Amino acid sequence: MSAVAIDPWRGLPEALPEALSEGLPMGLELAPGLPEATRERLSGLRRLLAEKYPAAERKPGGILPTGLAPVDAVEGGLRRAALTEISGGAGTGALFIHAMLRAVSREKCLAALVDAGRSFEPEGCAPSALTRLLVVFCEDPAQAVKAADLLLRDGNLSLVLLDLQAAPLREIQRIHASAWHRLQRLVEQTASALVALTPRPMVEGARVRIALHAQWTLAAQRRWRQDLTAEMSARVFPRHGAALSGAPGGAFGDAAWPTRKESVSA
Amino acid sequence: MFAVVLLPNFRLQAALRFREELREKPVAISDEDEAKTGLLEVSAAAESMGVRPGFSSPQALARCPGLTLLARSRPQEQSAQAALLEIATAFSPAVEATAGGYCTVSLQASREKDWPALAGRMVEALGALRLSAQVGIGPNADLAFLAARQARPTLVVQTPGAFLANLAIHELDPPPELLAVLRDWGIHHLGQLTSLPRGELMDRLGPEAARLWERAAGRTERPLRLARPAEEFVEAYDFEHEIDTVEPVLFLLRRFLDQLALRLENVGRVAGRMTLTLALANGGAHERSFTVPSPTAAVDVLFRILHTHLEGLRLEHCATGLQLRIEPAQAERQQFQLFESPLRDPNRFGETLGRLAALVGQENVGAVEALDTHQPGGLRLQPPRFHEITRDAPLADDLAVGLPLRRYRPPAPAQVHLVQHRLVSIVSEKARGTIREALGPFRASGGWWESDRWATEEWDIALENGGLYRLARAGHEWRVEGSYHAPAAAGGQPCVRFAGGFGSEGLDGSDRSDRSDRSDKSDPSDKIAGGSFAGPP
Repeated sequence: MSAVAIDPWRGLPEALPEALSEGLPMGLELAPGLPEATRERLSGLRRLLAEKYPAAERKPGGILPTGLAPVDAVEGGLRRAALTEISGGAGTGALFIHAMLRAVSREKCLAALVDAGRSFEPEGCAPSALTRLLVVFCEDPAQAVKAADLLLRDGNLSLVLLDLQAAPLREIQRIHASAWHRLQRLVEQTASALVALTPRPMVEGARVRIALHAQWTLAAQRRWRQDLTAEMSARVFPRHGAALSGAPGGAFGDAAWPTRKESVSA
Repeated sequence: MFAVVLLPNFRLQAALRFREELREKPVAISDEDEAKTGLLEVSAAAESMGVRPGFSSPQALARCPGLTLLARSRPQEQSAQAALLEIATAFSPAVEATAGGYCTVSLQASREKDWPALAGRMVEALGALRLSAQVGIGPNADLAFLAARQARPTLVVQTPGAFLANLAIHELDPPPELLAVLRDWGIHHLGQLTSLPRGELMDRLGPEAARLWERAAGRTERPLRLARPAEEFVEAYDFEHEIDTVEPVLFLLRRFLDQLALRLENVGRVAGRMTLTLALANGGAHERSFTVPSPTAAVDVLFRILHTHLEGLRLEHCATGLQLRIEPAQAERQQFQLFESPLRDPNRFGETLGRLAALVGQENVGAVEALDTHQPGGLRLQPPRFHEITRDAPLADDLAVGLPLRRYRPPAPAQVHLVQHRLVSIVSEKARGTIREALGPFRASGGWWESDRWATEEWDIALENGGLYRLARAGHEWRVEGSYHAPAAAGGQPCVRFAGGFGSEGLDGSDRSDRSDRSDKSDPSDKIAGGSFAGPP
């Protein structure tokens, strides 16, 4: 563990926020020769920071592999303890859900699918994967957000898929930004991964945004689903960062993180 | 040795178990069914103010205006008696339920020989259940009973002769006429009685006097009628007034659970199922059973389950009584592997399922269960059985073919234009346009041996706008069952148009609003007329 030296007379070093975000505050070392009173003040400061920003001190929750090569290549999979937004067409979303069911079965964990459009069709899913899935059919996106909230507070499931792609866009846009931030705050306190599937980028609190794209014809109906999944292209955008995969810049350069105003006006 | 565990003023104690605030106050209990008998039992505070058992209510109130009169509650007495037997059984398997409020325990096989300590533990265990006990231990059951009556709160009779010598005769409850004769003779203590010759006493006063002499000498031996306590863990309470809010109920439930958890712990069991019954003012009752997902005796967990239910409960009538019954179960012992991911807290998950069911409806939450039919769309959600998933459960195979369907529930009615049995175009709320390509029909039927027979033909269709849908025909009715790949402005979002700007570049960089427009422009509705769209392919 690396150490960050703190000189109390010059204030906190610039590296401190990064150190906090990397879970390093416990490893911070004070510059030698500091008076005892200063050391106590700094210890108090550490405690204050830990109380004020618990998330900063929390270690990353790990990764849940998806089995989707473009996603796993960049992030290793879905971030646990984080909200990930998957945006794309309804078809790619369904394919992603089925891919995640295989991943859940592979990882021997449990998942929930909160379906705001009541569109989930288990056709083609292996029974062993379905036994690990809790399905919640909701009337509308607002109800789905409440259901996801309950599941995150429960903390028993490793993956919560909040599928909004089959719901009317107008209703999805009615979800207030604070609801997304609340979900993000909730998931931060768990080891679960929360995935919001939306028809277009609109989740402001998402830590990672993945854009899926595919163009299918009827010929796809005669091919292995596994191969179809592999053909989907995915671009991964971590929060406040450029695309980590896919074409540089491209269609998502700035539009990947719209403001609430932009999202609603669209 | 034998022990007698006695709960003095048993009926009053049972009634006051969950009325802590009345314990130090003048209280009397009466039987509403037998009003002529007067007061059954009175508390020490009431007794100190001159109130005695047998008084009528007006008499008692005249002596003590602040007297609280309670009605006898048989369910509460049964709960207290069950608790008494459970505690006794924890010390010895040979227990006799001698009468209401006391039991006799055979300690012949007990390894513990420190009788005062044993008696102390019995008193302590019952004290935890809010029951004040007196325990007497003696060489036989009768002596133990006499000792229990004298105990404050425990008494061990080591030398029966010395103990009995100074005991008043009325402690043996002799017949009144016999007691009167003995008193006339100046015999007031058992020692005086046993100093008389037994045979001559029997000659003068009959066999009843001989039996009394035997008891006074501490020589009676009788076998115990052993009882096995029923594994019923019930607590009940009758409200004095009608209750229209949930707080008093929750308050009492918490106390019930505290007691029941202790009782379960005493017998080494945990709660497997709970049944909550609320007696209602109209004479009816609200009853609900809860299966504890992971059997436990943790009060907080059990209370949360009940709390979750009561939070959303609305009743048309006020509650007049409350009963909580727990069915015991063996504690689960399961060792999971290091990296296995079973439910971390099954009870919390059960509670979450309850909340989800309250939010979206019971039928809309659960694990997918395929129905025993080939009819498309057969789906039912059942309570998940995550706890049954074993580590060796097979992995999901990757043998699925084709794109997954997003099913429309309910399916969207459609009008389909056919030309020479070929699908040409479709008009529906969910999809409309020229059909570029179609796969099918895929026919299925079933239930022909029953009244609800069904038959359907399905097509997978590709529209000009790129959308892929599943189309079905049952009889002469067409419907869109779902979509595999819907252009953004169609399918699940019929009311939304992407008017350019952010997001309309789409995930593929193409302009979805254009596609949508094309879709609208290719609306073949102007070609649809005369209902010529339904027909066999």
